Amino acid sequence: MTIHRHLQARILGTALVASFACAQLAHAQTEVVFPVLVPITGFLSLEGTSQRNGAVLAIRNAPAGVKVVSEVTDTGVSPEGATTALERALSRGKVSAVAASMLGTQMLAMLPVALENKVPLTTVSGTAAITERNNPYVFRFFPGDAVAKAAHVRYAVEDLKKRRFALVYQTTAYGQSGRGHILEQLKKLGLTPVMEEALEPSVKDMSPVVGKVAAAQPDAILLHLHSAPTALFIKQVANARLGLPIIAGSAMHQPPTAALLEPADLKDVCAETNASPISGGTPEMEQFLRQYREQFKSEPDGFAVGQYDATMMVLTAAARGAKTADEIQKALAGTSYKGLAMTYKSDGRGNMAHSAVMICYDGISRTPKVVKRFE
Amino acid sequence: MLSQILLNALALGASYALVALGFVVILNATGAVNFTHGDMVMAGGYVALAVSSATSLPGVAVLALVIVAMALVGFVFSGLAYFPLKSRPPVAIFISTIALGIIFQNSANALFSAEPRKGPPLFADGLITLGDISMPRQALAIIGVAALLILAQHLLLSRTSLGRKLRATAQDREMAAAIGLPVNAMIALTFAMGAALAGAAGMMLSNTFFVTPTDGSNYIVKAYIAVTIGGWGSLAGAVCGALLIALFEVLFPSLPLLIPSLKTLAPWLFTQTASAILLYLGLLAIMFFRPQGLFGETVQRRV
Repeated sequence: MTIHRHLQARILGTALVASFACAQLAHAQTEVVFPVLVPITGFLSLEGTSQRNGAVLAIRNAPAGVKVVSEVTDTGVSPEGATTALERALSRGKVSAVAASMLGTQMLAMLPVALENKVPLTTVSGTAAITERNNPYVFRFFPGDAVAKAAHVRYAVEDLKKRRFALVYQTTAYGQSGRGHILEQLKKLGLTPVMEEALEPSVKDMSPVVGKVAAAQPDAILLHLHSAPTALFIKQVANARLGLPIIAGSAMHQPPTAALLEPADLKDVCAETNASPISGGTPEMEQFLRQYREQFKSEPDGFAVGQYDATMMVLTAAARGAKTADEIQKALAGTSYKGLAMTYKSDGRGNMAHSAVMICYDGISRTPKVVKRFE
Repeated sequence: MLSQILLNALALGASYALVALGFVVILNATGAVNFTHGDMVMAGGYVALAVSSATSLPGVAVLALVIVAMALVGFVFSGLAYFPLKSRPPVAIFISTIALGIIFQNSANALFSAEPRKGPPLFADGLITLGDISMPRQALAIIGVAALLILAQHLLLSRTSLGRKLRATAQDREMAAAIGLPVNAMIALTFAMGAALAGAAGMMLSNTFFVTPTDGSNYIVKAYIAVTIGGWGSLAGAVCGALLIALFEVLFPSLPLLIPSLKTLAPWLFTQTASAILLYLGLLAIMFFRPQGLFGETVQRRV
């Protein structure tokens, strides 16, 4: 009887110690409030969903000791939709950092709000202007046009040895920003395109532009279009049997873009991007690919990887002791982080990604191979 | 070169014609603009995608199922967006159709994701080469099937008793009701017909030009312009307006390829962006100088 009581007392004591330890551990966890404000509906919903998935996967893989409070909000595609979402998230309490829309016009609208509230925004927007506003609260985890278009043009000129380019770009801010950087890079190499034309995203029949490309007799096509127009253009070039190599923008690397085309249409097609997760490469990337496919039943792209790395850098900073938005901002601005796609470090203006890769399709499968990295 | 460009324009115009025709039959029957019509085109693409994924039916059979499914959608749509509001001011119906359009878009986004998708072909993918012209088989199929559907609709409306009832309802609902026609049933049937045509167009466009949840806004603008050019309420005008839009979109920017001297004269003018601007300027000119459209009749108010 005495032994039984003694045992009971010991069990009770152990349970008390264990629950106290658990309570202490829970208390020791760093809480990170990290809203995800991305365009899930509207014309950028494909890219926005990738961005969301990347952030959500990183939150699920948060480092030990970090508790993440997060909510996904659809910003749509209007600037006011994005600022309203940000202001609403800020009104709910202390925000540590934000996964912010990859749409450049939305980012430009959110920047003053972030500055006023001193909250860091992490994004995968490629629009050059967002890091040209001297705003210390913006961090871009995707190569900006200055980096990406340098790789785009240098690969075409230095590796493919092409000199006569037809340039086809989108009329949107995205397209015009890319065009500007492509022309700048070509000028540095002493070249000008033999033909250039802009396409509205709603244009379906691109045969007039394809005809003009053929008439200009280029030796390669530089493309800077959104996802569906990229696939449409490549398909129509294949139908016209021009037989020209196409060096496309980052939209081409997205698996849904390649899925719209037959593998044979993709012969001699290359593209720039930050990373091609479906091409694998490292054990960490393979694990990311496996998890992503399991959890989202879709194929990841470079935007998902970029936002995964951005979110993971924020959470790693928190795990290392950054508790406030200010401390996280300092960690993002002042330290480097080895992510899945590359090592990120701010250039002082919030540009974290300084390398790009070129991928090419072999005409047999829809999975590209990484052929070159530009640092 | 010219024949290749004309064939491309004809294939595009044939799809636009189906879109515009569906739009105008509903407009005639109800007097209201159906802003969901573009989203019905998009929905047709996704229905085709769903049917072809779930079955191994040939494209023509998929098209038949899409027409039936979209007719049902149109029927239900009339019960949600039109009949409860038909006695309210027209703006109420405009808004209800806009609201349902947004529901269509977001439902497609939730069900099929935002990724652009490729719908099934009507017959087969690939090219047919006739001399110097290479034409995708799908484009030829679109021209043929669209022509058949337009003819079928023309025969239905002009040669059948049902068609006469539909036309009577479209011309004067009150008079049609006074002579004992089932006006509500005719209007619901018109919505079904309009949605079926939109769905057929959606399937055909989804194979050649893909489909995304946000495509509807582009197609409703095309339908609106086609009907305005052709004549508000004119079925033949809607078809011709659609063909003119496609011809303009494809032929105008291609002119320097046909007449090389234009390339040096004003290269900036013969781009697809400039041609869109000119198309809208032309639309404004038609509205100003011939508001009844190219095929419409001048309407005079009775005093």
